Amino acid sequence: MADNDNLSIEEILAAARKQDGGGGDSTPAPEAAHPETPKPAAKTAAPAKPGKMSVADMLAAARSGDSGGGASESEGATPVADKPATPAMKPGEMSVAEMLAAARGDKSSGAEKAKAAPPKKKAAAKAAPAAKEPVAAKSTGPKDTASILAAARSGTAKPGPISKAEAAARAKETGATPAKKKAVAPPMPTKPEYAKSAPVRAGASERRGFLVAATAIFAGTFFMTSSLAIGFSSLAVTMLLWVLGTARFMFPNILTEPPTKFKVGFPDDYGPGQVATKFKAQFGVWVARDEYNGQAQIYALQSVCTHLGCTPNWLEGEQKFKCPCHGSGFYKDGINFEGPAPRPLERFAIRVADDGQLEVDKSRKFKEEVGQWKDPASFVSV
Amino acid sequence: MHGHVSYEDFIMQVAGFLTAYYLFVAIMNAFAAYYLWQSGRAKALFRLPGSGLAVTTVHVWLLVAGVFTILSAYATNGGAAALSLSPLIRDGADWIMGPVVYSVGSLVLMGGLYLGRSFFVKPTVAWTGLNLSLLLMGLSMTDMDFASIVMKPDNVPIVAMIYLLGFFTWLSAHRAVENDARIARGEVPLEKLDDEKVLVWPDLVYTELICMIALTAVLFIWAIMLQAPLEEPASTVKTPNPSKAPWYFLGLQEMLVYYDPWMAGVVLPGVVVGGLMAIPFIDFNKRGNGYYTINERKFAYCTFQFGFLVLWVTLIVMGTFLRGPNWNFFGFYETWDAHKVEALNNVDLSQYFWVDLLQMGRPKAADDASMAVKIGYILVRESPGIMALAFYFGGGPPAMVIYSKFFREMFMRMGFVRYMVLSNLILLMALLPIKMLARWVVQMKYFISIPEYFLNF
Repeated sequence: MADNDNLSIEEILAAARKQDGGGGDSTPAPEAAHPETPKPAAKTAAPAKPGKMSVADMLAAARSGDSGGGASESEGATPVADKPATPAMKPGEMSVAEMLAAARGDKSSGAEKAKAAPPKKKAAAKAAPAAKEPVAAKSTGPKDTASILAAARSGTAKPGPISKAEAAARAKETGATPAKKKAVAPPMPTKPEYAKSAPVRAGASERRGFLVAATAIFAGTFFMTSSLAIGFSSLAVTMLLWVLGTARFMFPNILTEPPTKFKVGFPDDYGPGQVATKFKAQFGVWVARDEYNGQAQIYALQSVCTHLGCTPNWLEGEQKFKCPCHGSGFYKDGINFEGPAPRPLERFAIRVADDGQLEVDKSRKFKEEVGQWKDPASFVSV
Repeated sequence: MHGHVSYEDFIMQVAGFLTAYYLFVAIMNAFAAYYLWQSGRAKALFRLPGSGLAVTTVHVWLLVAGVFTILSAYATNGGAAALSLSPLIRDGADWIMGPVVYSVGSLVLMGGLYLGRSFFVKPTVAWTGLNLSLLLMGLSMTDMDFASIVMKPDNVPIVAMIYLLGFFTWLSAHRAVENDARIARGEVPLEKLDDEKVLVWPDLVYTELICMIALTAVLFIWAIMLQAPLEEPASTVKTPNPSKAPWYFLGLQEMLVYYDPWMAGVVLPGVVVGGLMAIPFIDFNKRGNGYYTINERKFAYCTFQFGFLVLWVTLIVMGTFLRGPNWNFFGFYETWDAHKVEALNNVDLSQYFWVDLLQMGRPKAADDASMAVKIGYILVRESPGIMALAFYFGGGPPAMVIYSKFFREMFMRMGFVRYMVLSNLILLMALLPIKMLARWVVQMKYFISIPEYFLNF
């Protein structure tokens, strides 16, 4: 729960102490709590439950890690509760516990209070400004423990909160920041003989070189430019993918159209004046036998109204095709005669196949108004 | 409802509805009487001889409420069948009713209402008309064919909207006539009397809130009471018969019967929208701003009501209630017979001119002629229609200026361009009923018919 907070405070405090060179190490808080115990550090060094650790415990733990028995040479058993009364003391000589206690002591002089202090950063931050007051009058707002401690210890520092950048700059000046351990990579083992790649041919290397160069240029332009350019480029790429995906969506993997060529039976199946409606549901075609321009023909009419594309019905009683949408009517031969349809129904190509059956081809259409019904492919003479 | 239910069963079904319906009308009249009585607006009609008791409109509407209550009780006790129009009247109405009678009749009706507006806007007259129409509606509901059309879930809201439209048209005309009378007396219009501004909050917001809640409630009731009219799955090779557009497009669908799709579906709606947008530029009449009036804006009022009521609403009503299977015309009480045979052979103007008038074939280019020659022949063939339309649109505007004092003044005030825009919009609007009449009366199909290039007008 409070693990992170604890750790961070611990680290901060440890870092702050190191900066001091350990000389300022003084009374640990646990001693304030148990003045009779001479070596509390050893006791508290044992890992306590993180959630139940008080600030004092953590400080002690940090100290025991850093300077071992350094705690023992401090002012020891002196109850810390007395300290806040002496604000004249130089900040650099103040121990953390003292400062904390000083902060606390503003309101209550009891050392017992230190024990009860919760291990929360917030609480520490709250207490810290109070500790500062004796050192420098001004304090503005909440500060973090590290800055307070650092300011308190380095006498020159201005009081009050400092930003991370400021803290970093200060740390640089003093050069006292604990140097991070540099990670040293172990030397790579030499490649065994069998793993070595064969020498690359010249042509391939050129090609590869081109690829590498192109990638480098692309990546360079990509990452050298601003974040906006990156954002817009990504958006453009996403949009492009979306458009491509949509285009792909328009061509599904199935074929819904029935075959364009199909057999509709033998010519003898059609009596004079007959209109076969049985192919309408599947193919959208009427096959009829009637006279057109005085010539007996079998022809295939598309069952789509030439007005707005509704599907007309064949009315046997009235001997006409009638559209339910706007009332267009067509004679048996497909010629429009009533309603708004501006031109006759269209014919499909029809022929007698090799097996003697009639075959309709929906891929070719014939329009009467432009004289295409004279085309012998548009009918079968009987 | 047809065919599956016997007339007796149908009467049983409709009796419950009629009971509630007549009761509703009775309560409506009772409320009207109560309102007149309490507000003191009742008018004394005459005095009963002897007693000296003044008979007022309150008594009349109370009597009407009583009559409707009796009708309600009668309908629920097995008398619904008797509460119907006589078959003679129904058949006569069906026989008379045709596209021409319907269209010209509605135009004449609107004209009559307009001319007699000072009479028809009187509340008493309007209330009488409402009662009569509701009574006619109730009497017609016992007719199976009428009921099956009117009670279709699709059509119930349309019936309600007809009454709503009538009410709002009446309301505006009522205010306008009153304002016109005030202006004639030299007083300010009613709207100018109360010029005080109201606050958005709470006046407007409260009204809107109440309207919102009421509308939501209506939608809920509507959704629960009337089931959605779902049909079988759509199929490219099967079109429902009749196949009807959504109600608000039925005027367009009716127009499509007389025009080519690109004309009725694209050009004419575009002209309607463009013409409405042009109104601020061609309307120079500054009066009538912010108050109802008819006398001060007669031309604008008549043009709008003609375009809206006659050319739009009546076409919607026609498409909804009078168009049946195969888009044939059926009377209100006529059975929707899918095999009704109507002689609708229609002929292009060029056919009339070349074949019937000149007794010769239509000019036709040889099959192997070049494209230019073919187009020339087509233009010669369609020259009668082209010339007729050119004369209509080219000669109409100047003729209006010459023969009409009103349009002459308009031309003087508007200038050439604005006048031409206005006059051509009006001529185009008038062409729709002209073409409909030509189709119905002389079976005229297209003025210009060029199916080779999909140009038909």
